Amino acid sequence: MPALLTANSSDYSPDMVTVAKDEVEDEAACIWRAQRSDTRAFETLYRLHVDKIYGLCLRMTGNVSEAEDCTQEAFIQAWNKLSKFRGDSAFTTWMHRIAVNTVLGRIRKSKREHDRIQTAADALPTPLFTNDDGELRDLAEAVDRLPEGARHVFVLHAVYGYSHDEAGSMLGIATGTSKAQLHRARRLLAQQLKEQGFEE
Amino acid sequence: MNDDKLTTAAQRLSKEASPQRDLWPGIAEAIEAPVRRRWTPMFAQAAAVLLLVGASSAVTYIAMKDQQAPVTVVSSDLLFEQASFGNRYNLGPGYLDARNALAAELDADLARLSPQSRAEIEENIELIRTAIHDINLALEQEPDNALLQQRLLNAYREELSLLRRVGGLTRNVMMRNDI
Repeated sequence: MPALLTANSSDYSPDMVTVAKDEVEDEAACIWRAQRSDTRAFETLYRLHVDKIYGLCLRMTGNVSEAEDCTQEAFIQAWNKLSKFRGDSAFTTWMHRIAVNTVLGRIRKSKREHDRIQTAADALPTPLFTNDDGELRDLAEAVDRLPEGARHVFVLHAVYGYSHDEAGSMLGIATGTSKAQLHRARRLLAQQLKEQGFEE
Repeated sequence: MNDDKLTTAAQRLSKEASPQRDLWPGIAEAIEAPVRRRWTPMFAQAAAVLLLVGASSAVTYIAMKDQQAPVTVVSSDLLFEQASFGNRYNLGPGYLDARNALAAELDADLARLSPQSRAEIEENIELIRTAIHDINLALEQEPDNALLQQRLLNAYREELSLLRRVGGLTRNVMMRNDI
């Protein structure tokens, strides 16, 4: 049996994952084929990038079901816009932009939905990222509790390493606003972690 | 936790996570669905043009209908029932009244029209009246000729119709002046 790319979920069988390592094609070739309406090539791209996109959506929304919906919507958007991808940036970066737009669009679309996300984030019933343990898990939970604007900037800049220019561009805010939000996020995080007993 | 420690810790946070369910079937369903026709700007422009033409036609129709409405005041059917041939082609009193009233207004109506229109209408009235005269002469020879009777009836009908149209035309002229 060939090794599988992604098979770490308990909800679906590894047999459902059809992409095996020995079948993995060059990403550029997959993009080229997907741009010509090859859905199988696009599925390969999805398998390659779903964890990255879902991870970003989860960090930004702090809600599992919302992150799943955003991930699906982001890939559907990517399929519709694939002809516009010229390779000027990495495919992951291009997908990140689409995912951020999707998250922001859903928040704008429904204030009620946004409130639900915040409520769910406040509850934090289970750790969302299983790889975050110990101190990191506390930090992750504190990030999830940040106000929306501060959280988005912190996730893109501090976690994913985008510059303030890039984060501002993705979020539709000025570079200065991005810096201000990061400062606010750091202050709130430090405050939260201090309350939880972390040393300065 | 100071800024440096916070920055370092943030960089160590996981950037990837696997969804708890396979999201591909939903994506596949969406992207493999038949392409729906989109409401393109071109379609929108075409629809706008059609709407504009339709609306203009409707407005014109309604306006013309309103202008022509006074013409229908006289019930021609009733008049021509009375004008049907009774005692040797004498016209009914209702028809004669209407005809005489319209004829009396004719001069005043014609005075409101341009000389060219007036001459044209007078020529048409003269033609109809000549036809009525000729048909009456023929009926004197053949009183029971149904075709001549029908022709005479049509000639009277045309005369009345023309008189009413002249009235309508001059009413329109007056309406424009009033505005």
